[in-house]
Amino acid sequence: MRVQEIDHAALLPLYLAAGTAAAALFAGRFAKAAMMIGLTASGVAAVWVGMGPDRATFAVGDWHSYAADDPAMGAAALFAALAVLVAGLSGRQAGEYWFLLSASAAGGVALAGSRDLISLIVAVETLTVPLYALVAKPGRDGAEAGVAFLIASVTASATALMGAALLYAAGGTVHLGGLAAGLGDAHAGLTAAGLALLLGGLAFKLAAAPLHAWAPLVLERAPLPVATYLASASKLGGALAVVWVVHFGLAPGAFGSSEPPEGFAGGSGAQQSAGIVLAVLSVASIAVGNLGALAQRRTVPLLAWSGVAHAGYALAPLAVVATAAGRSEAGAAASAALAYAVFFVLLEAGAFAALTAVRPGSGSIFASRERQTPETALESGGSHESDLDVRGVVAADVGRRRAVEAQSAAGGHPARGVGEGGRVAELTGLWRAAPLPAALLLFSVVGLAGLPPALVGTFAKVAVLEVLASSAVWLAVVVAAGAVVGLAYYLPLARTVLLGRPAARTRGRYAIGVAAIGLALLAVSLAPQLVLAFTSLAP
Amino acid sequence: MSILLLVAVAVPLIGAVLAWAWRHRGFAHWIGVAAAALSLAAVALLPIGRPPEGSMVVGGRLTGGWWHEFEAAWAPPLHLDFSLAVDGVSWPLLLLTALLGLLCCAHNALGAERRSAPRAESRAAVPHATAAGAGGVAVSPTAERASAPLQVAPATLETGGPFPTADQARGVPAGPGHAADPATDPAARPSPTLTALLLAVQAASMLVFLSDNLILFFIAFEAVLLPMWAIIHRYGDPAARRHAAAKFALFTVAGSLLMATGLFVAVADTGTADLGAIITAGGVSEPVSLLVFALLAVGFAVKAPLWPLHSWLPDAHTAAPTVGSVLLAGVLLKLGTYGLVRVAGGLAPDGAVAAAPVLAVLAALGILVAGLVCLGLPELKRLIAYSSVGHMGFVVLAFATGTEAGLRAALFGNLAHGLITPLLFFLVGALKARTRTGRLDDLGGLRLAAPALAGLLGFAALASLGLPGLAGFWGEAFTVYAAAERGGAWLALAAAAAFGAFLAAAYLLRMLKRVSHGPVAPAAAGIGDVSAAEAAVWAPLVAGTLLLGLVPGPLLDLFAGGLL
Repeated sequence: MRVQEIDHAALLPLYLAAGTAAAALFAGRFAKAAMMIGLTASGVAAVWVGMGPDRATFAVGDWHSYAADDPAMGAAALFAALAVLVAGLSGRQAGEYWFLLSASAAGGVALAGSRDLISLIVAVETLTVPLYALVAKPGRDGAEAGVAFLIASVTASATALMGAALLYAAGGTVHLGGLAAGLGDAHAGLTAAGLALLLGGLAFKLAAAPLHAWAPLVLERAPLPVATYLASASKLGGALAVVWVVHFGLAPGAFGSSEPPEGFAGGSGAQQSAGIVLAVLSVASIAVGNLGALAQRRTVPLLAWSGVAHAGYALAPLAVVATAAGRSEAGAAASAALAYAVFFVLLEAGAFAALTAVRPGSGSIFASRERQTPETALESGGSHESDLDVRGVVAADVGRRRAVEAQSAAGGHPARGVGEGGRVAELTGLWRAAPLPAALLLFSVVGLAGLPPALVGTFAKVAVLEVLASSAVWLAVVVAAGAVVGLAYYLPLARTVLLGRPAARTRGRYAIGVAAIGLALLAVSLAPQLVLAFTSLAP
Repeated sequence: MSILLLVAVAVPLIGAVLAWAWRHRGFAHWIGVAAAALSLAAVALLPIGRPPEGSMVVGGRLTGGWWHEFEAAWAPPLHLDFSLAVDGVSWPLLLLTALLGLLCCAHNALGAERRSAPRAESRAAVPHATAAGAGGVAVSPTAERASAPLQVAPATLETGGPFPTADQARGVPAGPGHAADPATDPAARPSPTLTALLLAVQAASMLVFLSDNLILFFIAFEAVLLPMWAIIHRYGDPAARRHAAAKFALFTVAGSLLMATGLFVAVADTGTADLGAIITAGGVSEPVSLLVFALLAVGFAVKAPLWPLHSWLPDAHTAAPTVGSVLLAGVLLKLGTYGLVRVAGGLAPDGAVAAAPVLAVLAALGILVAGLVCLGLPELKRLIAYSSVGHMGFVVLAFATGTEAGLRAALFGNLAHGLITPLLFFLVGALKARTRTGRLDDLGGLRLAAPALAGLLGFAALASLGLPGLAGFWGEAFTVYAAAERGGAWLALAAAAAFGAFLAAAYLLRMLKRVSHGPVAPAAAGIGDVSAAEAAVWAPLVAGTLLLGLVPGPLLDLFAGGLL
């Protein structure tokens, strides 16, 4: 009996991340330290493995289920770093918080290396499931956020799983390496349906339209550190999953050294369907996200809606595989999408980290459960009725939020309860009150708008537009139009931070975390090679 | 020598950072001036050691080469290299940018505008500053600056008497004696942050003129936006600045992203982002040429601006502070025309030929529309701003003819406009600071109230309308000549341009009549004449206008050696 050989060095980052999660569960009061040290070690291990030769393991024939190549290890290191950043922004929390966070990060590390549909979906679930608990802070708002996230996520997972099943039926394999060949002569309708379901379901994590509605709702109600994680690491997970499927699963480059089999020309049919699906997702996200963000007066929903638009920009380059010109440079397109996702995720992390640092937080998430009033307990317990009708919850919530906002506008008090992020107007004069977080917020917002001197965002835009200009000029024009609309809400946000007098004394917290992500953004601005070196996927 | 290219760009940037970092100190302004002066010196030294002219002949056309190049890899996967280069086309524009940057910084440092304003200003500034502070849209970037007018107010009240209008009616000259020493009087000078922003605009614009890499060109083009937006938004006319700044930003970004798309199509087609290499190779391939040119032309036409994409310009110019208007007219508009001539024309010569008629018709229409609108405008600054649309129309028309004479006329007219219109904006800014109004109806008799100022205004207006012997003449005369030379329907465009030049004469003379002549209007009574500081700032522009008008030859020779 032959035993499958396992390359443990390739799995080292994953071992460390998973071990960290287990350690955090049992470390008691040292859970935070254990988590930060363990995940840092995991990130360092990922960089170390990435520096070495490309590794792969869990082989079936030529196809591997787990790869430790440059993109995978770079993304794994980024997952670990983002989780450590979120930990640094979290303050004191109960032990399970650290366990859930590091379990989610372990899911991210696993996702980075996944090269078959099953481990991909399992990794995405591992990344997501701990967040169900994390977003649900005590009280009605937390319950709403948790339920909305749970329902949307379960729906998306089911959709993606169905898509994966259809692709397996069509292609006869779940390995991304074999999928392109398998789909070559498969039933076209089955392939198209499978791809649409799979990509649509995975795009949920990225908060791309049409499965975007959870993002503003959940991010607004989640505790700010968790929102930071959702907006950065969790979205990176979605982007990675989509890029892996499109690049490793559908591109001819996935054959590696071996020649494409006979009759491969049919494989372009799968690419074409994927491209059309992605183009629709991308254009819809850009339109919906930008229009949604224009109407926002609260900081976190504004960033969340604009994040929907950015998901659209990230997906746009992948859509070029629908055209013949785009298929010839599918590798460049996937690299651009990945690079955009990484740049964008860093900027989102910066913006949310700055916001976390200056907004009064909710304190401990789990420890305060005992102090729930019977009423709120009843409400969170009674949330099963919202299972039946999410839209009812959303509608009721919108009404109540308006009431709260009206009340706060009249009384001059910041809205309590709904959203720690607060209104945009509450950031007035932040530049004078707390220069360091304000500088980070400004840099991130300007970067999200894609303007120098925040070159991170400019590089992201250049990467995407370069690919689009060569094969789908119309999509480039859509992206450009979206970016112009984006300016209409980013610039007022920047102006609010910069000008005026602060209403209340704001004290910046978490200076180390803020400085760390700020330095990371500066470093990437000056040396984009740091990111581009690992996001370049073989053509 | 190539290190000078880096110095020319880096020094203003460093100066901007230092001036901002030490914005609470008295010497911050002079850091800005020193940085701008160093940058100007570096640019002025660039012609040393350039290769002999006409050293390259490509495709039967005489083209020069770069004088100096500087190259460093930055992000190869994005085709981005930090490569700078200079030649006979970009060097005069660099010199102009560095000069205007220095003049604007000196204008701030000397407090030229504030010192010449009537004493009422510091009193008027008190309620204004406090109201703005309470309203949450504070003008003042620092606490120190916000409180400064409050501290100064009692002093001026003592010396100036309680009735500001009475002072003006009595004709107390508001000379340099008003504010004893600008270094000790913070209210006399705008904030050093403004100087820092000006330097940032200058550095980014120079990077645009210098960049030999298309991606770097795009990044530099975008980098101009935010500082300029901040200048308009923060230091502009309180009534209009928010709207104007937003409009400026949205138009510019829309244009520059379309331009970026065009650039990336060109990069994808040629496989390189090296501007010089693509130009010498004859541009992009035939099938995409028109697409590339159309995308680039729309992008640059917003910036230039070409009618009908000009509507951001009058608002932005009118709302911006004087130094902002000067940089807008003298530098930012040049980015558009430089891009059109060098980048759009160089990357897609075939597309340029195909699109020339459309461009020419729009340019001619722009000249006529600007002339007609200017005839009816009631506000001085808006009038100067709108006249830019007409002048840029001449530049675009000259470029559209595609002939050698046309190209030189375009480049010359571009540069002449960059000297004359900033001078006009300086003069109008000084006039508005003195009279506190820009409405033609409220002005008059400047000839009697401030003869030197009226004389300079007349000089600048005559230069702007294209009087032979001054800089404005050559560009516009040769534009008409180049269009007429093409014959056929181009004759009609030449006639339209000539009529536009006639309209320019009409509206500028109308402006002079309303402002300088007639009885002294109440607003103009008792205003001070040109101060020494102002004279020092304006002198280089006057000299340049005269020099280009009298000796156009050397500049035209420089253009001939350019890489186009």
